[in-house]
Amino acid sequence: MGVPNDLVIRGAHVLDPSSGLDGVADVRLSDGRIAEVGKNLQSTRHLDADGLHLLPGFVDVHAHWRTPGREDEETIETGSAAAAAGGFTGVVMMPNTDPVVDRPVVVSGLVRRVERESRVRAYVSAALHEGLKGERLTEMRLLKEAGAFCVSDDGLGTQSAGVLRNGMLYAKSAGLPVILHCEDHTLATGVVHDGVAAALAGVPGSPSSAEDVATAAALVLASESGARVHITHVSTALSAALVGFFKGRGNVTADTTPHHLTLTDALVGTLEGLYRVNPPLRPDEDRIGVGKALRDGILDFVATDHAPHASEEKELPLEEAAPGFLGHETAFSVLYTELVQSGKLSLSRLVEAMAGAPGRWVMDGAYGISPGAPADLALVDLSEAWTVRAEALISRSSNSPYLGRRLKGRVVGTVVGGDLVYDAMGVKFGARA
Amino acid sequence: MEGVSREELKEVLDLARAYAAGHDGISLAGRTVCLAFFEASTRTAVSFELAARRAGADVVSISEKGSAIQKGESLIDTVLTLDALGADAIVIRHPSAGAARLATHYTNAAIVNAGDGCGQHPTQALLDLYVLSASLGGFDELEGRKVAIVGDILHSRVARSVIPAFLAAGLEVALVAPDTLLPQEAGASWGLPILPSVDDALDWGADVLYALRLQKERMTGAHVPSVAEYARYYGVANRHLKSGVLAMHPGPVNRGVEISGDVVLSDSSLIPGQVASGVAVRSAVLALATGAAQKTAA
Repeated sequence: MGVPNDLVIRGAHVLDPSSGLDGVADVRLSDGRIAEVGKNLQSTRHLDADGLHLLPGFVDVHAHWRTPGREDEETIETGSAAAAAGGFTGVVMMPNTDPVVDRPVVVSGLVRRVERESRVRAYVSAALHEGLKGERLTEMRLLKEAGAFCVSDDGLGTQSAGVLRNGMLYAKSAGLPVILHCEDHTLATGVVHDGVAAALAGVPGSPSSAEDVATAAALVLASESGARVHITHVSTALSAALVGFFKGRGNVTADTTPHHLTLTDALVGTLEGLYRVNPPLRPDEDRIGVGKALRDGILDFVATDHAPHASEEKELPLEEAAPGFLGHETAFSVLYTELVQSGKLSLSRLVEAMAGAPGRWVMDGAYGISPGAPADLALVDLSEAWTVRAEALISRSSNSPYLGRRLKGRVVGTVVGGDLVYDAMGVKFGARA
Repeated sequence: MEGVSREELKEVLDLARAYAAGHDGISLAGRTVCLAFFEASTRTAVSFELAARRAGADVVSISEKGSAIQKGESLIDTVLTLDALGADAIVIRHPSAGAARLATHYTNAAIVNAGDGCGQHPTQALLDLYVLSASLGGFDELEGRKVAIVGDILHSRVARSVIPAFLAAGLEVALVAPDTLLPQEAGASWGLPILPSVDDALDWGADVLYALRLQKERMTGAHVPSVAEYARYYGVANRHLKSGVLAMHPGPVNRGVEISGDVVLSDSSLIPGQVASGVAVRSAVLALATGAAQKTAA
């Protein structure tokens, strides 16, 4: 029995807090959607997943695939392959490319390329302002018609509160969410966090206020405007607390990154360009505060800020290096190893923060392992240990801050719309009676 | 226009019709009408001047150029001076909301508001109702018709007069604008539907599309990204007028921005009539304001 082309994933530990699933079950996929969750499900095609965890696919609302303009660093093909290898089934592509994604024709071109080249669902973020300059609004309604999913000036903060307010109001009218990189450039004059490590190393620092002041302004404006606003890469305990204060006062969500949850500004002492990132790595008390905010649901998602850079942009002194880390391929394993195994975060909260919450935000509704939802799934082997090696990364770049790290827990399969887009299991779908 | 009644509106329009019909109506002979324009204006100033002259009044006009206003004389001092010179009515145009109301505290002459900042422009609303009721076959035909007011509500004194006047006349009103061109509390302020485009206004059932002027300085990216996007969603075009929908605009028009050029002079356009009817309506307003015509409505 069973329907041709249906696929049953058998015997995995199915974990999806948003659907209340936490136990061994079979999941049947049909026509790109979840058809059924139960016991002893039959189909002509099956995938034996005994010993693995089956999770809703992760969704990364913050990634730089460097296309168009820096295809030497990443392409839609390599970025989406890296995402799939990390269990991500949906990714938002940031618009700070060359050219900037601020015109409808650039958006429609990207949308067409994504259809051909991406292994996962890729959503185009257009710019909030022309050239990301924080001056002239982009043609958001035409951008939306061309296929833009949201708007963002990521990489730069909007320096005028008046301009930002109008941006939010116009985005609201256009029906587009706004992703905000909160940074006051009059305060952010350094290249690392302005802390003890920066002082001792003699590297110019940017204070936490550079982020906190901008986050506070953004939250006030978001709550007043009623726009759908997402604050990305929250890196300080105070900014996280501010987000908490504004929860319920507006249509606001927020994320933090794997690296702000697991690394600190102690790495400034290495003076290596590899460790430059924006917002900068913070002291341990911020790392802990941000982690607690994620645990408590004040920060809604994990997003990687996957930012590939060519080696010539990273093998430099800190002050000269380009900011940014790879994120897709290590996110789950890093957080499972550092937070879940140490008991600081439950696995189900991690799954909700990487999959359920951002999935519902991006898909605007049903997301998770329940009948009718898209068949977007991650298969994870929690017992497998692996070492991050530059030569094994799928991304076209290798600027991971975790190179050489031994991690526990690994993504072994990724399903998008019912298709296996990443497979480290060597699956052969045999027709079986 | 807040608090205006249907009967009051009807009375003004009836009197305007008498002036328009050409029989002398009520003469303003021997009365002095002063025009005090603290802000540039073409059509409103000319319209008021003709309205006063045709009704037989003596007209004194002081505008920015070559007057004490240009030398920095204050609103209040100007009003006191005109009062001392024996004005029966002072017509005030001023860049700040509330100027006309303030002036009433300093003179016994009738004050007529010819537009104050982003506040009110009552005679515009009256002439709009005059033209619209003429087009629809009478004042009573306004009842239940739907008007969508499209564009820069935030900075528009016309909108602030037209909305209460239209509602008092029995029209249904919706607003069409991006949030950048609406007051923060637009919804709570008027309790009207707010629609995202002119096409949506037609879906709502609009009989009249009332386009507002978009100032040039607001097209440069702070409130509106581009003329192309604005015209696409908030511009009134010929395709919107297919099913007998009427177009109105208080002027001056930005062709190709809030209204396409071919609409302005099309059969569906009431815009030429809006300008033409200004004189008769303003004669009626002056007659009622100076007491030359007896008010009957409460």
